[in-house]
Amino acid sequence: MTDTNPERTDGGTVTDDHGHDFPGTGSIKRWFVTTNHKDVGILYIVTSLFFLVLGGVLAWLMRIQLLVPRGPGETILGPLAYNQAVSAHGLLMVFWFLSPFAFGFANYIVPLQMGAKDLAFPRLNALSYWLYLFSGILFGVSFFQGGTFSGGWTMYAPLSVPTFTPDVGASTAVLALVLFVASVTVSSVNFLTTMHRMRAEGLTLRSLPLFSWTILLTVWMMLFAFAALLAALLVLSSDRLLGTTYFAMESPAGALLWTHLFWFFGHPEVYIVFFPALGVMAEVFQTFTGRRIVGRKWFIIAMVLVAIQSFAVWMHHMFLTSINLQVKTLFMITTIGISLPFDLMVFALIYTMLKGKIRFTTPFLFVFGALLLFIIGGITGVFLGAVVLDYEFRGTYWVVAHFHYVMVGGVTALVGGLYYWFPKMTGRMYDEFLGKVHFAIYFVGFNLLYFPLFVAWETPRRVFDYAPELAPWHQLATVGGFVLGLSFLVMFYNLFKSAFVGDPAPDNPWEYAHTAEWAVPSPPPLENFDGTPTYRNGHLEVIEAGEIAPRRDRSDTPAGSSVSADGGIAASSKTAVSTELPTVESTAVEGPSHASIWPFVLSLGAFLVLLGLSPLQEAAFPSGMAGAAYATTAVGGGVVTLGSLVAMGLEPFHGPVFEEGEAWPFSGIDNGKVGMWIFLASDVVLFGGFIGAYVFTRFAFGWTGWEPIPSDPIPGLVNTYILLTSSFTVVLALVAAEKQHKGALVTSLGATFVLGIGFLVNKGLEWQHLFHEGIWLSTNVRSSTFFLTTGLHAAHVIAGLIIALYLTARAWRGAYLEDSRSVEYFGLYWHFVDIVWLFLFPLFYIL
Amino acid sequence: MVSTKLYTAIYAVLFVSATIQVLVEFAGLNYWLAFGVIMVLSAAKAVLVAAYFQHLRFEPRSLTYLVSIGLIAALALTLAASYSLL
Repeated sequence: MTDTNPERTDGGTVTDDHGHDFPGTGSIKRWFVTTNHKDVGILYIVTSLFFLVLGGVLAWLMRIQLLVPRGPGETILGPLAYNQAVSAHGLLMVFWFLSPFAFGFANYIVPLQMGAKDLAFPRLNALSYWLYLFSGILFGVSFFQGGTFSGGWTMYAPLSVPTFTPDVGASTAVLALVLFVASVTVSSVNFLTTMHRMRAEGLTLRSLPLFSWTILLTVWMMLFAFAALLAALLVLSSDRLLGTTYFAMESPAGALLWTHLFWFFGHPEVYIVFFPALGVMAEVFQTFTGRRIVGRKWFIIAMVLVAIQSFAVWMHHMFLTSINLQVKTLFMITTIGISLPFDLMVFALIYTMLKGKIRFTTPFLFVFGALLLFIIGGITGVFLGAVVLDYEFRGTYWVVAHFHYVMVGGVTALVGGLYYWFPKMTGRMYDEFLGKVHFAIYFVGFNLLYFPLFVAWETPRRVFDYAPELAPWHQLATVGGFVLGLSFLVMFYNLFKSAFVGDPAPDNPWEYAHTAEWAVPSPPPLENFDGTPTYRNGHLEVIEAGEIAPRRDRSDTPAGSSVSADGGIAASSKTAVSTELPTVESTAVEGPSHASIWPFVLSLGAFLVLLGLSPLQEAAFPSGMAGAAYATTAVGGGVVTLGSLVAMGLEPFHGPVFEEGEAWPFSGIDNGKVGMWIFLASDVVLFGGFIGAYVFTRFAFGWTGWEPIPSDPIPGLVNTYILLTSSFTVVLALVAAEKQHKGALVTSLGATFVLGIGFLVNKGLEWQHLFHEGIWLSTNVRSSTFFLTTGLHAAHVIAGLIIALYLTARAWRGAYLEDSRSVEYFGLYWHFVDIVWLFLFPLFYIL
Repeated sequence: MVSTKLYTAIYAVLFVSATIQVLVEFAGLNYWLAFGVIMVLSAAKAVLVAAYFQHLRFEPRSLTYLVSIGLIAALALTLAASYSLL
């Protein structure tokens, strides 16, 4: 963005005290290999703004269609095209614009605010970005495969199964979401590890800046909520591609199952997109009123409460389904409960303004506007939380208007955040006058667009026709839509021009800004601080590099915990060589580098795999050339994915040097181990979603009338024995590594691998047997749940075997005797897979 | 931390209790009684694996809480969703 800026200090080799080969920001290569959190932040912001434009154009198409009430196909959009535009607009804006936009700021700002040099796992951070970008590209591809998904952004069943949405593009859109969730999961693990483990000394959670607080709570919600979404999406993908029948019309409560899984994710998602905006509001309010937020402690407590409560309100999206009245009442109560902490937050913000002295800069105008919009959006939402009122409002434009006031209200605050942090990111000031012009047009356009929708609330949602007497309101909204959209031209012009020729920005252009990002140059140097930041004495100090213990001066030997953690299977020894890729015996190579191309390549591989799988139906590729091309793409993508995983594991990589700091509640545990456990916690929810779907479906079917699919539990019992034994051999491997017995280590790891293969062979025979009996995934919902749930488990076993094979090969060459952590982390994963089987076995074989 | 001997003993217990689960199935007990016994055995095995093989017993308690949160979320979803059908 700002490569011509002479003040720029993070241009690679200029101030780079490690002397590693890292291209400058002007080089295209830099942006493909970077793992630096600030670069990744900028990539996120730029990419998300692209998706804003794409989603916005789709919205314009809809608004043009709605200019006058007209029947299907009477204007630019045919009926199916309209449905696609509605669905894609919702999906793109919620997933590919809103959250990633916020995570651009999170990437850039949070490590600065907490005094870290980077995130805990920089390559995984780059991986998150590339997975996100490629998931967006995959979604784009879906438009060209006969049309993208057209069943609404909530993807309600059974509209979402191929019977009703048969296009290949609809499957691709679902797969794009799967890839997006992979990105989110990697990102959540990374942020949680970083934020809990790598805060500067003295920076307790209590004193953490509010923006970082909102991000912390957001990633906690993401970790569990997106795991539930992943379960839902994998089941849906399987229904679409493999022919399982979870959501089919004939399945018991299939449509209801989707709503439970989706909204268990979907309600926390509302706060996942809104919390970062709240954080921006809090920061900007404090800076431009010159006052610390009123009731800071209570503000934080209120946010924590909301984050927890957000998992207990999901059925208020289901008041018009067949769920019973008792549970509706219960969820009405919890919904009213969750509005209370928000009242506290809103009053804290208002009172902060009253007590302070306001400076009406562009960022302040945007967040102040956001507060007003959020109040309207929040109050109109309370109507929907009441069961009786929801009977009337559900499926109308009241809902549409309400959540646009909330979500786009959040966008308003984030736009304020963009102006607020722009000087920090580019080292240039934006044009204040144009900023205010943008706000004025934006705010008028916003209300012109969304307020009439409240008035025209009787319009049915997602439908391209409406009652003629509502036409004036829809025309107002269409005008507003164009005003709102065009206001962004002012912003793009302003920011683009200012990035090159704006006035140079000082470290802290805002006078009363107190958080740590304003204590470093604009833009900050590559490693953020010239030494070790500390809050030991209650305020930020940076201790010079030479003043502290010898930890830091050996930058080529990353100290302590951060070494191997990235990817869990990295090398761990000293002698720095070059950045060239080492060969397999690279245990001895730990080259210092900030750069890695593998996150990009890995994401490309994953993209190709999913694109290749997209035309599957009933587990078969279409016949002819197209099918062969798709199959080749999938296989090629698989090779690229595997290859880049191995390359990433072997690559010498210089992670951030870990300083002693605040690490509650995970002090004394390695970053790598914390990351692994956080990942496993999300995997618990993934399997929980699958097992929950099974229990729910069986319950709807009639529990005791449901016969297990395998008529004989003995093959399952044999597999239980095999898995238990393999867990035991992994334990023995760790014992051997700790005792530095190379032979025993290799034997135990090798035995684990062989046992895993045995498990798969036994399972394969069992499945083969069932297929011969004519039992297939699509036979009925019993067989669907059996094959898919045990299949997901088998996929985990296969992933584990790939890692086991890698570890065995490395151990053969003498790795892990000095540092057994990789074996330990693999063990944590493998035992988890074992534990899952301990429940799958009785549920699917015995009971 | 833990001797190989203890690991071996735990492995034996896991092996035996898996066998018992199938024997319970064949014993012809009342369905819900058998259900209870089998699920309790599964839970006990899971706790053993987590506590010793994943050595959660010897880690700071925060890791146990972390996994428990995931477990509670999954159980809440399962139970509340199933209850909503009644």
